[in-house]
Order: sequence, then structure tokens, then C-alpha cells
Amino acid sequence: MGLSYAVRREFEYTLSPQDVISDPVRCRAYECDGLTGYRVIPDLVLLPRTAEQVASAVRVCAEHGIPFVARGAGTGLSGGALPVADGVVISLARLKRVLEVDPVNRRAVVEPGVTNLEITKAAAPHGLYYAPDPSSQQVCTIGGNVAENSGGAHCLKYGFTTNHVLSVEVVLADGSVVTLGSDTGEQLGPDLRGTFLGSEGTLGITTKITVRLLRTPESVRTLLADFPSIAAAGDVVSDVVAAGIVPAAVEMMDTLAIEAAEEAVHAGYTVGVPAALVVELDGPTEECDVQFEQVKQICERHGCTRLHIAGSPEERAAIWRGRKAAFAAVGRISPDYFVQDGVVPRTRLAEVLDRIAGMGADAGLRVANVFHAGDGNLHPLVLYSAAAGETERAEKLSGEIAELCVEMGGSLSGEHGIGTDKACSMPKMFTEDDLAVMRRVRGAFDPRGLCNPGKVLPTPRLCGERPGKYKPHPLEESGVIERL
Amino acid sequence: MNAPTDLRTLRTAVLDTSGRLAVAGAGTAAGWGGALEPVDAVLDTTGMRGVIAHNPGDMTVSVRAGTPLRELAAELAPHGQHVAFDAARVAGGATVGGLFATADAGPAALVHGSLRDLVIGVTLVLADGTVASSGGHVIKNVAGYDLAKLVHGSYGTLAVIAEVVLRLHPVPESTATLSVACTLPEAAELAAVVLGGPYEPAALEWAEGTLLIKVDGTERALPARVERLRAAVGGSTAEPDIWERHAALVRGADGRASIRVGVLPSRLPELLGALPRVSTTTAGLGTGVATVTVEPDAVAEAHRLVHEMGGTSALRARPAGTDAPAWGPPPSALGVLRAIKAELDPKGRFGPGRFAPWM
Repeated sequence: MGLSYAVRREFEYTLSPQDVISDPVRCRAYECDGLTGYRVIPDLVLLPRTAEQVASAVRVCAEHGIPFVARGAGTGLSGGALPVADGVVISLARLKRVLEVDPVNRRAVVEPGVTNLEITKAAAPHGLYYAPDPSSQQVCTIGGNVAENSGGAHCLKYGFTTNHVLSVEVVLADGSVVTLGSDTGEQLGPDLRGTFLGSEGTLGITTKITVRLLRTPESVRTLLADFPSIAAAGDVVSDVVAAGIVPAAVEMMDTLAIEAAEEAVHAGYTVGVPAALVVELDGPTEECDVQFEQVKQICERHGCTRLHIAGSPEERAAIWRGRKAAFAAVGRISPDYFVQDGVVPRTRLAEVLDRIAGMGADAGLRVANVFHAGDGNLHPLVLYSAAAGETERAEKLSGEIAELCVEMGGSLSGEHGIGTDKACSMPKMFTEDDLAVMRRVRGAFDPRGLCNPGKVLPTPRLCGERPGKYKPHPLEESGVIERL
Repeated sequence: MNAPTDLRTLRTAVLDTSGRLAVAGAGTAAGWGGALEPVDAVLDTTGMRGVIAHNPGDMTVSVRAGTPLRELAAELAPHGQHVAFDAARVAGGATVGGLFATADAGPAALVHGSLRDLVIGVTLVLADGTVASSGGHVIKNVAGYDLAKLVHGSYGTLAVIAEVVLRLHPVPESTATLSVACTLPEAAELAAVVLGGPYEPAALEWAEGTLLIKVDGTERALPARVERLRAAVGGSTAEPDIWERHAALVRGADGRASIRVGVLPSRLPELLGALPRVSTTTAGLGTGVATVTVEPDAVAEAHRLVHEMGGTSALRARPAGTDAPAWGPPPSALGVLRAIKAELDPKGRFGPGRFAPWM
């Protein structure tokens, strides 16, 4: 069908002709985000330059009932920015000004197209930084982080995007502009800021964000430790937590992930060991020293085979380079791979990883693991070869791993979001009533469903009448209702 | 009066009553927000108490919403864990659900935020009996909308909170508080020194002529840190009960209205200086959030002044017989608030009057 010429002209009039892309070849650059398996070429791509233009463009959409999808850097891994057929993509890439860095009140006001790392760069001269640090922080935008409630390696101690955004200016689906939250984060009435954060672009488009900045810690201590088994490394994490230590980050990698990362960046990891743990502490020097000593002792107690302590900022950077390279590096040992993002309670990590290894063996596929061990957020990488016809098997295994996490009392997603990718798995985690209430919330923000439709919440059109796996309703468990 | 004991009986209570309902916890904030209009029944949540599951290794706990937080704290203490939250009314027996629904917070908000930052899962009962949950026992979770956020600060107007899952933190091995006698403007200057240095305060409050700086840490490291801090700002070590006295000031006194205000931290001294007929003040110099007690007839003026400075204000205590307004000018997202109310409670059953005159 496609959008009419008149509508296109209206967008061109609202923005300016060069800020509206209608050439299908150029629109193709927007057909997918970081989850490249799903592709839809949008009818139009809009490139507004100001918040006012975003609101005007959304008003045109509202007037004509045109669905729209907001897009930042397109690094999302769940298809949250997948365009909608007969809809428009609204790119926030040109709203990239750091409007204010306020060192006295330790906050910054930025536009949504500013990258995560740019905020920290702008704050650094004042001894401040922006805490959430998704692996893609060099390119991902703060607007995307707001949509996804992004985490990162250091969120165990410092929290997620939702804990660091004080207020957001939002263009609602009818084109009206509201501010959610406040200068202090205090909100009068229900916490709409918190409801909006992590709603994956389905409740509105962010045009301005006020973030909290933290003081750069006085000390940072980082170690890399090898272990004879995943279980031993897992025990270290448990003992560190039991000792009352809240590390800034605890990351784990298994043999395959280490091998891939070493091949790619030669960061000094030991190839062949079953598990490597990165533990980082930060804070006042006196505290760091005391607790770092404790962590070293705990590592040794659990049979650590090598303990490498970063002696300089360069050595610390090398350890992190290895960890952060692991994802992309897997491409070196496998032609294709799927990334999962499930979360399990930390105490069940070893058990879950055992199960995943078994499932991989049964499917005849390798699974590499690199994950945030402190908060139980797994990133199993299912390795496969599309050329060898393994895609379907790999996709099935990948989905089963996510659902295993739910079964273990965890979640489908820790930081990548539900998006298009996992919308149809939502009934594994939520009851029909849970989802119905979420739909009512969505309806309150966007009654006509124009804002990023088809994401997060499953629809029959999207998922078919695929009944979810049985999960007892809370009322069933307490004996109020029965399932016959 | 209906007194459910768990999710099942709560749902029955909501379905078996008709008309308008108020939710009542321990009653420590019964007079907060807008004055409740007449209701047909009151749901007393204090029978819904107790831990459902505490996972010490994962540092999470689920509780029934009517559990007093101090009771939960006592259960967690042997594990060296706590909810990193210290609102003043906890000592009065406030329930987890009540503290959450009223968006309360104490000095620990400087580091840990309010309960919205600590609650990782929730189970709600809507006015039509629908039971809905989101979140769970994992701290990192972005699946679906966060329904918990929606009821934080909802004052019982959207749903009844049945169960809550909380993230826990280790109880610090050691804690110390420095107290510095100073005026509010002097305190603001010292606060800038503390926040700009490597001291990592756990709380930073000025109350009635004294700046209180709390530091948490290990037994071995803390004394040296406190010495460094003292060298920078002066003062002397205070007794731990100084925080109980602080909480008493926040709770206010009978006969006076109490307002919680929030503004950019750098503007807080100016705002507090401008508020009329203030009798006591506690001010979070890092958070920008303060609680003041004022004469009831000065409340409307206070709302106006705060709003002019781009801040937020909410009435906390309303003395009997007065009609001080609970809220100032409405937020820009009032339309969304009304739409959410219409979606979740279309018949307007829950908490009528709490957000008057906004909705």
C-alpha cells in the first residue's frame, strides 16, 4: 500500500525535504537494528533536527494514523527499532547536543541522539561520569538506553538506566509533549518516569533527558582469575557477596568465549581454562584495599589457578578489552551466532550453565558463555553455521535457553529488551492477565497503538495462536481459580 | 472494614465489596496526599504480613505488602542484610506497601534512591479483581512494563499492592556520623566539599543547625575515612541516635502541616529561606529533597514558591480540621495520569480524593 504522496509532502513541509528519506535504497539502511534477522523497509525515514520537529512529525502521524518507530543508533539486539510496514522511522540521530553539564548538581541534560560515552566524556573534566555502561556505549545513544532501560557491566553496584535518569521530555503518540520525573527525580503521583523507562519505544519518543552523574571513584581495583570449573568461579561470586562486598562488576567467561576473545584482541587471558572471572572493586582507597584483599583470598580458597591483578590503567583496560571483545570475537570461531540475554537468580548460575551445556550437546551445537555473574544475566552465544543449514536448530536452542531462564525463576531479558525478538515468548513469563494490564497501560499512553506497534507485547498476528507454556497463575497457586 | 490475609483473600475482598474503597496500612501516612473522600469500605492490609521467600544468596526477599518494614528488617538482620531504605515513619510501623504507595524515602536516598529503586517485583489487585504481576527475584530484568513503578506514589488510587519483591543490600560492617554545627548556607558549602571529594557519604542532611554526614564501610577502613572527612569539614562524631532525632523532625509535630519539597540541590537553601512560617526543616543537601513543617495556612504559598523554582511539593501531614491543599499545580503529564486511572480503575473505586483537585 504505502504512504501517499500527500503525506510525504506533509512531512517534507513539517521538517524540510532533505530531512525526509523516501528513496527505498536509502530507506534500506534503516531496515533492521542489531538483530539483523528481522528486516522491514520503512516507507519513509524522518530525520528531525529539533525536539519541536519530532513533535510536529508525530502530530502528522497522529493525524493520518501512521505508525512510527523511533530509532537511535540502531544497536539494539532485540529488534526494538524494527520498522513497521506502511509506517515511518523517526531517527533521533540529529538530536545530539549535550545541552548542559551541571557539576554542582551533578547532572547533565542531553538530547536523545547523544551517545552513552559522550555523556561521560562531557562530564569527565568535572571528575564526574555517567554510570550505566552498556557494552555498545561508544555508539549506542542515551535515547535508546532510556527506551531499553540499558544496563552494563557496572550495574550490579550502580543500577540501571532507570536509576540514573531524573527526568525525560517525551513526545506522546498524539504529538503532545510532557515531562516525566523532575530535577530531583521526585515525582508527584505515580512514577510515570519509571513506567516509561524500558518501555522500548512503545509509549512515546524521548526528546530530552536529564541524567544523574556520579563522582569518579577514587580507586578502582581489577583482577582476572582463572578457575578449574565454572562451579568454582560461581562459588567465588557467592562468597564475595556473602562477605558483604558489592563489587562494581563481576564478569565470567567460559573456555570458548576466552578462546575467541584471545584470538581477537590478545588481552592476556589464559586459553584453555574452564572459567575466567573478572572482579572489579571501586570506591574510597581504604575500602577498596581492604575488600580487594578479601576477594583475592576468596579466589585462592576456591582453587584459582592464576590470579592477574591489573597493575596499571593500561592493564585494567586490557582485561576489559578481552571481556568486551568476546561477543564480536565469537565471529572468529563460528560463522554465525545467536546471543541470548536471559537472567537467572545468581545462586542457580552453575546449575543453569550445566543445563545449557547439555542442551547444546543434544542439539549438536556449541554454546559460548560470557556473562554478568554478579546479577545472573547470562549471554549464551549459540554458535552455528547458516551455510551448513543449522539456523533453525540454533534458533530453537537459543529460544529454549531463554525459556529455561524463566523456568529457573529468572527473566527472558536482562538488558537487551523484548522487542520483536522475544515478544512471542512473553506468555512463558507472564500470565494473560499480566499482559492484559500492560496493554491497558499502553492504551493509556497511546490509545491508537501508533507508537512502535508489534513490540514487547505479543499479538496473535505476530505470534499466531501459539499457546504459551503452562505457568500457574498466582490465584491458582493460592486456590482461588482452577485450570480445567 | 475488610482484613485480608493474603493475595487470595485480598482479591475476594475487592470483588465482594461494591463502591469506593480506601486502602489502609499501619496508618502512619493516613493523612498524606489529598483528603480521602467518603468510601464504602476500607481494606486493611495489616493482616497481609510476612515474608514469602527470602533468598539470602541472591539478596532478594518477597513479602506481603502489609508487612511492617521494621519487622522485615528484624528478620533480615541475622543474615547481615537489609532494605537500604530509612524513611522516618519506618520506626512507627509503616508497612512496605504503604511506604511504596506514598513514594516515601529517607536520607539513604542519596545513595540508594527511594523504594522505586529497590523494588524488583510486584503483584497487584485491580479494582475489577484482575491480578497482575511484573518483575521477580532477579535484580536485572527488562521484560515487559514495570508495573511496580506505576503504583509507586499512587496513594492507593490505581491498584492494591498485594506482594512486593525487594532487592537487599549488605548491612555495612561499620558506620559513623560526623556532625557539624552550622547554618544552612554554611552547610550547603560544606556539602559541596563532601560531594566533590572522595568521601562517598551514605547520607548528607542538614537539620536544625547541624549538618550530618554519615559514612558506611568496613571496620578496618572506616576510621581513616572519617579522619579524612573531619580534616576537610571539621565537626565531631555523633551518637548513632542522632538519626532517630532526625527522623522525629521529619515526622513533624501535631498541629503543624508537613510538606516534602524537592528542587535542584543548589537552589535548596534559597527555597528553604523563602518558605513562609516554617518551624522545622530537614534538608537533603545531596538529593535536593527537604521536609519542612509549616503553619497550615502557609501550605498553598509554599506549593506556589516551589513550583516557581521548578520543584516538586507534596503535603505530608495535614492537621485535623484544616484544609491545606495536598498538591500544587498539576504536572504536564496530567492527561496520562487520568488516562491510566481510567484504564485501571474506570469506576473510580480506589482512593477517591487522594489526587484532588487533579483527578
